[in-house]
Amino acid sequence: MAGRHLVGPGAAGSPIGAPEISPPDLTSINQPPFGPSHWLGTDSQGLDVGVALLLGARTLVLVSVPATLVALLLGAAMGSAAGFLGNSGGRLPRRAAVAGGLALLGFAALAPYWTLAAAALVPATAVWWLLGRTRWGRQAWGFPIDAAVLGLATLLESVPLLILVLVAVAVQRPSLGGLVALLGLSCWTGPARLVRAATLQTVAQPYLEAARAAGIPGWQLLRRHIWPNTRHVLLVRLPLTVALLVGLETTLSFLGVGLPPDVGSWGRLLAAVRLAPTDWWLVAWPGTALVGTILSLQNIINRRIH
Amino acid sequence: MVRAVLRRTLRLLLAAWLTLSALFLVSRASTDPTAFLQATFSNNTRLGGQTEQAALTQRLLGRYRLDRPLFYASWGTATGWRWHGFHNQYHQWATGLLRGELGRSYRQDETVTELLTRALRYTLPLTLLAAVGSGALAFWLALGFSYRPRLRRLGLALLHGVQSLPLFLVAVGLLLLLANPDTLAWFPAFGLGLDSDAGAWWQYPGRTLYYLALPTVSLVIVSLPVLVVQLDGAIQRELAQPYVATARAKGASRRRTVRHHVLRNALLPVLALLPELLPGLVAGSVVVEFLFALPGMGRLLAEAAATQDYPVLLGAVGLVALVRLAAQALTDVLYQFIDPRIRLL
Amino acid sequence: MKLFLSRLVLGLWVGLLASCSTPASDTPPSTVRIRWDRDPENLDPLVVSNKSAYEVSTLTYCSLLSGSEADADFVPWLAEDFPTVERTADSLLLVSYRLRPEARWDNGTPILARDVAFTLKVMNCPGLPIEMDQAMFGFIQDIRLDSTDARRFTLVCSGPSPDHIRESGDFSIFPEYVLDPRGELRTVQLADLRRMPAPAAATAFAGRYQALELAKHPERLPGCGPYKVTTWQNGRYLTMARKPHWWADTLPAPPPALQAFPDQLIYQIIPDAATATLALRRGEIDLYALMPAAEFTRLQQSAADREKLRFYTTNSYEFLAASFDVRQPVLRDARTRRALSALFNIPALIAGTQQGNATPSVGLISPRLKAYYNDSLSIPAFSPAAAADLLRQAGWQRQPDGTWQRPAAAGGPPQKLQLGLSYRAGEAAFETAALQFQAAARALGIGVDLRPTEQSVLSGQLHKGETDLSIRTFTGNPFSFDFTPLLHTRGIGAGNTTGFSEPASDQLIEQIAAANEPARKALLLRRFQRLLYQERPFTVLYFLRYRVAAAQRLGTVPVTGLKPGYEAAHIRPLAPKS
Repeated sequence: MAGRHLVGPGAAGSPIGAPEISPPDLTSINQPPFGPSHWLGTDSQGLDVGVALLLGARTLVLVSVPATLVALLLGAAMGSAAGFLGNSGGRLPRRAAVAGGLALLGFAALAPYWTLAAAALVPATAVWWLLGRTRWGRQAWGFPIDAAVLGLATLLESVPLLILVLVAVAVQRPSLGGLVALLGLSCWTGPARLVRAATLQTVAQPYLEAARAAGIPGWQLLRRHIWPNTRHVLLVRLPLTVALLVGLETTLSFLGVGLPPDVGSWGRLLAAVRLAPTDWWLVAWPGTALVGTILSLQNIINRRIH
Repeated sequence: MVRAVLRRTLRLLLAAWLTLSALFLVSRASTDPTAFLQATFSNNTRLGGQTEQAALTQRLLGRYRLDRPLFYASWGTATGWRWHGFHNQYHQWATGLLRGELGRSYRQDETVTELLTRALRYTLPLTLLAAVGSGALAFWLALGFSYRPRLRRLGLALLHGVQSLPLFLVAVGLLLLLANPDTLAWFPAFGLGLDSDAGAWWQYPGRTLYYLALPTVSLVIVSLPVLVVQLDGAIQRELAQPYVATARAKGASRRRTVRHHVLRNALLPVLALLPELLPGLVAGSVVVEFLFALPGMGRLLAEAAATQDYPVLLGAVGLVALVRLAAQALTDVLYQFIDPRIRLL
Repeated sequence: MKLFLSRLVLGLWVGLLASCSTPASDTPPSTVRIRWDRDPENLDPLVVSNKSAYEVSTLTYCSLLSGSEADADFVPWLAEDFPTVERTADSLLLVSYRLRPEARWDNGTPILARDVAFTLKVMNCPGLPIEMDQAMFGFIQDIRLDSTDARRFTLVCSGPSPDHIRESGDFSIFPEYVLDPRGELRTVQLADLRRMPAPAAATAFAGRYQALELAKHPERLPGCGPYKVTTWQNGRYLTMARKPHWWADTLPAPPPALQAFPDQLIYQIIPDAATATLALRRGEIDLYALMPAAEFTRLQQSAADREKLRFYTTNSYEFLAASFDVRQPVLRDARTRRALSALFNIPALIAGTQQGNATPSVGLISPRLKAYYNDSLSIPAFSPAAAADLLRQAGWQRQPDGTWQRPAAAGGPPQKLQLGLSYRAGEAAFETAALQFQAAARALGIGVDLRPTEQSVLSGQLHKGETDLSIRTFTGNPFSFDFTPLLHTRGIGAGNTTGFSEPASDQLIEQIAAANEPARKALLLRRFQRLLYQERPFTVLYFLRYRVAAAQRLGTVPVTGLKPGYEAAHIRPLAPKS
């Protein structure tokens, strides 16, 4: 597992002492490694593979890992809510719903005139108060959280991830932060589905029914009894999601719509091999780094589980 | 029961409608309607003056009916709300959809239905072959791992390594290894050959298999790790359950325990992958289709996205969404079939 | 069950082996297999939207004139001779043609002036996809048929530009007998079609035309060219067969424009360059044009490939340029633009991205056109010192932190020298140039933000003037020197994406477009190059060379500097050695 040692310091050190991308050395393109000036060789644009590797590690730490965390946390929250609360767990008081709807409508219709729009709050409050007098108004509508989460996930997933990113990039090139948000917000659905399935399975266990019968509040049930059983699903998923995102980024580079060239990426190095199939070093170094990173993540997760 | 199924179907249709409408409105509202015309202009040096080009843009927008307002109403900071009536793009698209028309492609002057059918003819054989191949292989591997723990560690490590390789690298690697005159030229490099050389009908499946071998294998390689890792994880968790000890105690072999007791329970978390995998069957794979020159759904989608060919994009995405919704429904039914304690309806 | 399965598997294997045994290389000798990178998509002759479709169109249809690179001019094709021109008092241009008497449609009927009139009516028929044709050929106002000679006709063109004479012969002629067998459009006048409401005959015709679905079924409209489309599997391949009895075969000495040799052309659509290279090396295709430089050099250096393939390079009329948007406050000054131009290391870029296979130039005229190229100017050299000098002359001051600032004219905040550099995403050569420029600029203290952008978005931004500096290619040709779309004030908002507008250059552009004699044209063009060299709305990095690799069996492939880079009809495959 040489890769683990190779990548560990690289990935950790690079964001701090981030090297500037070196100017392309157009006099030495496609240089094999172990040469005098470029230890790890150069690609077909004269970029030093070593520097590109370091910059790529930085991108990995700054983009792929945060995006994965965003995706997993969002997925865990959505999945547990959907699985645990189901279609009848969420409750929305009717009077709040009606009054809120009225207020929104008023805002939307009168938006150009701010004072009038603010005045829409008055009838909304009145309706809220009036409905509070009736029995109908005091009851609550069940909000189908499960259906809502699944619907949202389906809406997002109906656009294949690659296409979603392609369209987004075709419209406006996102910044690094935007990329993290875009990737995180579009990748949470897979973990959410897994967590939902695991939650459903756990909720059906007899000990949970017992716990529920004992009057343990929902939050405690979720925290003490369900999450310990669903956590592993996410942990198994972590390296997969990092791999997915790195793969996505490399695929974008392959299709020619990746990150700008002054943001380093292992994917661009890998993609460069297509036009220089004899340059083994373009696959060997970034490939080792990529496989090493994923395997290290895998190893860490395995230790945490057992 | 009938009512439950009916309600489910209605909800499915409503979800599909909302999904498609959201996609329609978001995709058109966020893009510049003239963008797809720009490429045409940049290819043409003869269009001199600005007035000529402005007039041409207007006429072309009129041809594709993009000169109409997007929705029934619109809002502008200066104008406030404005009602446009039924003479709008959404209404036209929605009524077309009710009649079963998906519109015409901007680039190709063909109905989207025709384009989708043609692309599916290339994508489905490829993805079905790959799905069957990787599914069968994943079962075989995961079961094999559960009997042989030592092999399992090695196998999983290998699979994780494979998983970190992006699809294009696997496909390029296969291409450079198995379709290269410098190494082994066993398989064709691209396409499906000419129909005029197709020979007799009974040769057709063999020929197709021969041409699809490399694309299929690359898809199998990249989809295998996810399946195996999930299935294996589930089997391992079930193996720790007390009922396994009971089964073993009553004398069942390890193999029999896994096959007859564990597998059914282990399938449940894996089922959650189904709605992710089934739409992939119709969505195709951009990379493989691009690399092996197959004109399937992936390429259709990617090209439509790059050239902002909305009708095609929406039609194809709508199809994928429908398949996903159907897969979702199917999964829920299968959940109950496998574990009747789960109640969803 | 198990037995059945194993039999099935066995059967499949047998089928597989049987099908593999069909060798891929038993193509008849007179077939040429060519790689395309994209599908023609739409083969309606009125909508020719990409270069694959254009290639099909030039092989199936003839127009009156055709561009000939060898003559650096248009030459007669379907026309018997170059047209005679007459100018009228109300500044109309009367262009008179006579069609070749041998020219025949596939059914044996002669091609007459009537067919040309019919074609013009189709190009103006409301309800058909005629927008592009109207924009390009809208200057042809009317056609007058000769009452004595059925092959003679006169086109009435508006505007005095001499380019209109050549352009007036550059549209494909359609057969009337196929599209309008009963001649229902004959009574309709061209002017009537441009008026609303459209005549009933035209509406009926549009319906019939649409029903043919030519976009998908090009074989339904046979042209007078040497080839016809035989099969088209969208996205996979397109085959064309030579007509066994083509009318030009009866000519005693057909000119090059009317020669066609291969019996069959097979166009294989392979989007990926690496796959296409493999297919070429394996003999699955015969010709790969516009090859990436690195691949081309690699194959040239391999002995095994030299045995199987021949390699050609030819100068093209396409150049890579860094184009400034002169409307941006930072770039308004010509000295700033010249300074930034000095930061492109052109020789290194040519060596690095084109393997030395490109030609630097002082301006937009290819050095290949010796008569017009201004050789007294020197090619801009890479010199950060000169750039710094020029920046100081332009009023920029180097700040203690190394950046450059200039006091604003109207007392506003000072300008900072910072740029965005846009280019089409995914182009390695553009990206390398951008990186090189960025590095050189940063060393000088100029911040450059790289903006790789999708093609359609980039075109939109260029039109709207939202870019600072962009790297892109411009394509010229040896026939026309009308720079109105590119650099004239009238072209702003359309083809003139630099926003460059100077009375002196506008006047020169108009004079060049109107110039007829070569000597005067050369003088004006040289003056124009000098002006652009000073003003520098864009700086030419290099003229591309087109690279073509072809199988040995194709013999010597005629390559051209115009896309697609080869002349498919003029390839003469060698007879196989027995």
